[in-house]
Amino acid sequence: MSDAAVSSPPQPLPDVDSAGFWAATARGHLALSRCSACQRWQHPPVERCRQCAAPTAFEPVSGTGTLFSYIVMRRASVPGFDDLLPYVVATVELDEEAGLRFVARLEGVGPADVAIGSRVRAEIVPVPGGDYHVPVFRPIDESSEAVTVSSPDVTRQASP
Amino acid sequence: MTMFKGGIAGIGRTPYRRDSGRTTEAMAVEACRAALADAGLAAGDVDGMIAYRALTDSASPLEVSQALDIPELSWSVDVGGGGNVVANVVATAAAAIAAGLCRAVLVYRSLNGRSGRRFGTATGPLQIGGEDQFYAPSGYLVPPQWIGMWARRHQHEYGSTCEDLGQIAITQRSHAVANPHAIAREPLTMEDYLAGRWVNEPFRVYDCAFEVDGAVALLMVGPELLAGLRQPPVWLVAAADSQSGRGWTQWDDPTSMYSRSAGPRLWARSGLRPQDMDVACLYDCFTYTVMATFEDFGFCEKGEVGKFFAEGRATYGGDVVVNPHGGLLSEGYIHGLNHYYEAALQLRGQAGERQVPDARRALVSAGAGPYGGATILSGEEP
Repeated sequence: MSDAAVSSPPQPLPDVDSAGFWAATARGHLALSRCSACQRWQHPPVERCRQCAAPTAFEPVSGTGTLFSYIVMRRASVPGFDDLLPYVVATVELDEEAGLRFVARLEGVGPADVAIGSRVRAEIVPVPGGDYHVPVFRPIDESSEAVTVSSPDVTRQASP
Repeated sequence: MTMFKGGIAGIGRTPYRRDSGRTTEAMAVEACRAALADAGLAAGDVDGMIAYRALTDSASPLEVSQALDIPELSWSVDVGGGGNVVANVVATAAAAIAAGLCRAVLVYRSLNGRSGRRFGTATGPLQIGGEDQFYAPSGYLVPPQWIGMWARRHQHEYGSTCEDLGQIAITQRSHAVANPHAIAREPLTMEDYLAGRWVNEPFRVYDCAFEVDGAVALLMVGPELLAGLRQPPVWLVAAADSQSGRGWTQWDDPTSMYSRSAGPRLWARSGLRPQDMDVACLYDCFTYTVMATFEDFGFCEKGEVGKFFAEGRATYGGDVVVNPHGGLLSEGYIHGLNHYYEAALQLRGQAGERQVPDARRALVSAGAGPYGGATILSGEEP
């Protein structure tokens, strides 16, 4: 076992239901599963909508949201992050739907300055040790929030 | 109105160690033998067995029953789960007896939780599936992180503090001082608590269950047997369980847990109230688990737990004694079955120096987050 393997972050084990998420992050975008009929977001992703059982497909999200909670990692409970200690992991409520939450590291703000309720945006970064990409959240400066949300060219992956 | 007939006739356990040097099977067998001896029964009297395991860290009922030379099991179940299943395991054993599927059931948990695979830390290289696949590559994978995330939200919404969590750790450790079986018996001051190394903010080392190697077993029987054995009977009065929501990250309100639903249902089923409990063995994988469930079960208002504990209301001489054995935090992390052991000792009047005066009813909870349950035990026939 190489040192790189031992000190790498955990790698995801994608499945048929999550493939669309990883395809999107590979292209630099955050996308979540959404019902093709009732339009409700479905996270974690499922083959069929939880509420109406219609087919789901991955759709891009804006990546913006509000900080719901966070922790500060000060010891290497999870391998591959020693160099980043201390690091902040945030639960972010995404703008797309109340209660729709995603968890990722928060960068660009010191652990003592993290504020629940602050606005953040996702940026896609590579996961060391493999071929995957995940979001990292960064604070949004609301005063300069004149940026339009781009519509990434993400192919919808409809489930059969 | 009670739901069950019968209860706990025997209890057994191994010492709790940092490194047992033994197999999980050997420890399970020792705990089961001790429970049988405690009840004054023999392996030939046992016809049911149920165990639970969080990882591949246990010994199966088939292995254990064979090692005990139990002639035949009419009912045998091996459950996947941790604290989230314990109350259900105990209730289901009682239900199997009430249904006439079996007469005497050994319930056990055995693990090398410290010397073997640890629950609170991950070691690589890892490939993670399920919902964790989305977050593990960001360094988010283990329970102290999930529950720490929930605790931080409670601090935001109710102004609870790390000192409030510390009050729970300190109170429980004070109880462990009088517990020769506990793994951690040194008294803890608030200064000690705050000086503890961070695990992940807001949790320090004293906020987390103390992983150990060990085993606990209960022998459960129906009412006819229970009344006639060597130990004072410990009756199962009621049970309630809840699994809901859409996982740890999508749970709507991290300031409350499974207990917001299972608690009211337990009181309604039993006709009892928090004030009727003399002992509360609350599942304490983390201090915050005690905080949220204590509120949910109705012992105090939200945001008031720190004050409640600081005022001595959760210890001897107070409203209720929470985890008189020190709990998972200080006695050891046997995934909640040691809470049943302690509740039984207390209700029998056998807790020695730790005896809660006139202990007649005990609440025992198990689980955290969206998943868990609770039972009420009594020293008096319901």
